[in-house]
Amino acid sequence: MTELLIRNACVIDPINDICGEIMDIAVRDGKIVESVGSGAEVIDAGGSLTMPGGIDAHTHVCGTKVNFGRYMSPEDMRAGRTARRGHMHATSGYSVPTTYGTSYRYSAMGYTTALEGAMAPLEARHTHEEFAYTPLQDMMANTLFDGNWPVMQAIHDGDIKRVAAIVGWTLSAVKGFAIKLTNPGGTEAWGWGKDVSSIRDVVPHFEVTPAEIIRAMIEANEMLNLPHSVHLHCNCLGKPGNYETTLETFDLVPNTNDKRQSLYATHVQFHAYGGSSWRDICSRSEEICRAINQKPQIVMDMGQVMFGKTTTMTADGPMEFNLYRLYHNKWSNHDVELETGSGIIPVYYNRKNLVNSIMWAIGLELALLTDNPWQCILATDNPNGAPFVKYPEIIALLMSKRYRNGVFQTVHPDTEHNVPLAALDRELTWKEIAIMTRAAPAKALGIVDIGKGHLGEGADADIAIYPLNINEIDPAKAPEEVIRAFGQTDYTIKRGRVVCCRGTCMVDGENTTIWVNPRISENHSMDHDPEFARNFDKNYTIRMRNYPVQEEYLQRNLCIETEARL
Amino acid sequence: MKVTLEVRPRRKPHLPIEAEKIVPRTFFEETDGLSVFRGNKELALEEIFSVAIEGEAASVDGVEITILGDSSRIKRVGEYMDGGRIHVMGDIGMHCGNFMSAGEIVIDGNADAWLGREMRGGTIRCHGSAGDFCAAGYRGEKRGMRGGTVEVFGDAGDFTAETLAGGTVIVHGNAGDLAGVDMKDGVLTIMGDTSMACANMSGGRAYVHGTVYDMIPTFRNIGRETVGGDVFTRFAGDIANRGKGTLFIRNYKYMD
Ligand SMILES: [Zn+2]
Repeated sequence: MTELLIRNACVIDPINDICGEIMDIAVRDGKIVESVGSGAEVIDAGGSLTMPGGIDAHTHVCGTKVNFGRYMSPEDMRAGRTARRGHMHATSGYSVPTTYGTSYRYSAMGYTTALEGAMAPLEARHTHEEFAYTPLQDMMANTLFDGNWPVMQAIHDGDIKRVAAIVGWTLSAVKGFAIKLTNPGGTEAWGWGKDVSSIRDVVPHFEVTPAEIIRAMIEANEMLNLPHSVHLHCNCLGKPGNYETTLETFDLVPNTNDKRQSLYATHVQFHAYGGSSWRDICSRSEEICRAINQKPQIVMDMGQVMFGKTTTMTADGPMEFNLYRLYHNKWSNHDVELETGSGIIPVYYNRKNLVNSIMWAIGLELALLTDNPWQCILATDNPNGAPFVKYPEIIALLMSKRYRNGVFQTVHPDTEHNVPLAALDRELTWKEIAIMTRAAPAKALGIVDIGKGHLGEGADADIAIYPLNINEIDPAKAPEEVIRAFGQTDYTIKRGRVVCCRGTCMVDGENTTIWVNPRISENHSMDHDPEFARNFDKNYTIRMRNYPVQEEYLQRNLCIETEARL
Repeated sequence: MKVTLEVRPRRKPHLPIEAEKIVPRTFFEETDGLSVFRGNKELALEEIFSVAIEGEAASVDGVEITILGDSSRIKRVGEYMDGGRIHVMGDIGMHCGNFMSAGEIVIDGNADAWLGREMRGGTIRCHGSAGDFCAAGYRGEKRGMRGGTVEVFGDAGDFTAETLAGGTVIVHGNAGDLAGVDMKDGVLTIMGDTSMACANMSGGRAYVHGTVYDMIPTFRNIGRETVGGDVFTRFAGDIANRGKGTLFIRNYKYMD
């Protein structure tokens, strides 16, 4: 039995409605408890801001696509180099660091849990192998279904139960966590050199539309009782005028779950553009947020862009091809048979560039115009909009109008004619930041019940103590203090252990992979479906029996079993 | 100041030595306590070299380093060199003259790979042959060598002057595959043969006095032109990369 007592913590824990109370937190064997004995190890927080560990609800840090980003950009490895020290391995890389680099930097910022935004089922093993070397965060994998042949066939046949049965079988086979749709139908069309330009376009060879895919998957998701909702990267990413597609997509979403949203729309900044070309592109954040404010069934994340060098990587192959044509730099394009694809290119977001400046503004506008912070999560679609190490700066931009104005002075001068940002006076509060970085991600991912995102009794003792006194610092006036504090915790505690102290990681760590296993009745199981097996063996280059990820790929793991209505 | 470094006989002469400290500025500033690395082991400079230092220097340009003995595995000599002179009497190991910005390096023997990588200025003369990636850039980086001169009197290996973005590279012998690949600016001259020259070139000029084998098909033939009394065929490209480079070739042969 190990016990820990954190004294004099200034706690913000939105899920338990605690906002700035000075209190003690007791921890026994990795969980938060009512009290501990006198022999417990004591940390005096000295009134510092203390919150549940941060949760990144959408980031790209592990898997084949991330790794390809690493080896196509050896020059990225020249940045961010740190030597081996104590328990810390050597690291390198800035926008696509080594797994240890990712893990240590997240941990220094108080992040203890992350969702890998896109895992191709066929390539799941690589993701799980990299999870094992991301030791200081519990990890989950969004599993890509945007161009899944058997799923699209079942949607075409109007058989939602079969859709759910295939999704459930696949998720448990690849140890995935949730359904991810990236440009649904578009990446499959890209396999034939095409794309979809609206949610009503027909995917070649399957005669289904993105709208049908999205609707069917939302229904199947609820049939499987999954903790998270469908996680959607809308069609038409990055195209001027795409906000209409985004709004049409939002209109498809029923309100079917009273515990959480029915759709998670990711990196919405990239989907909130007006205009008809790069020449007249403008922000449509107001229209997007008006829809979000009326639809509690949708949660989004910002997809904030920050200026500087980074790498874009997504399963949205056709979008990356368009970016390649714009930048004419190196480009990777990848097809995952029967499932999805991906593309990667390095980019530089330049504050002197009007389009990049507009993108920067839109992300902030989404956060500032969404009334309910539970519906807008802070994320950059790391590393697509910016490497996650920029989160502290984003927090400061949201909390300080003055800081925002200062940066606004440095961007392209025409930006103000194309975005409403300058007119927005809202400054987010500490509580709202806590919601956007831990409470809302936990609720949206459906992991509050397994003890994430809050500090109530029984919760996982994942805790971040920031070197900041919220009663003394005015974030509107001292953004540099906010950036400093959120950049490095005094203590990051994971499962009751101090894993990182002032930037130095203290333990080797052992994370938990969280995955789902929907229990499906025998007569719907794909294991006993001759047609599924026949098509599998006919179309895939591997046998069906070799497809599931073996248990040895998982180390410590937590399987969420759900009862499917099948 | 004359610095003479003679490599002592080594029990395992193939183990590379990381010797980025061997650069005139180091000796100009401080001659004591210098070290090199063998793997992760830090060794005093005297363990690898017998060291003799004569006289003083008023500036970094007054420092001349002479390297004798088997220096073929001594790496990174002249890295970040910003003045003075280095004379290598034999062969030199990889990465000689990395990031060099001024001064002169003369190599009497051969140079291993990455000679003058990402060089900014100064002069490197290699009287033997140079390995792969001579006068090239870092893998993945868009711009490589940006200034100065690299002259190789023997042959050079593959990827010579890759991503060249400024300065002058002259190879008197042959160059390996893909000389001038991804070149952006600067001047590359090869007196002998090479193959697949200047693929993906976007700027700069290259002259090949011998034959280009496996000529890249995406260069536009502009016609005959006389340069310095020799007749060349002038090409523009690489049009596959919207390239605005110029390639002068005496003889060329497309892939069969
Ligand atoms: Zn993403």
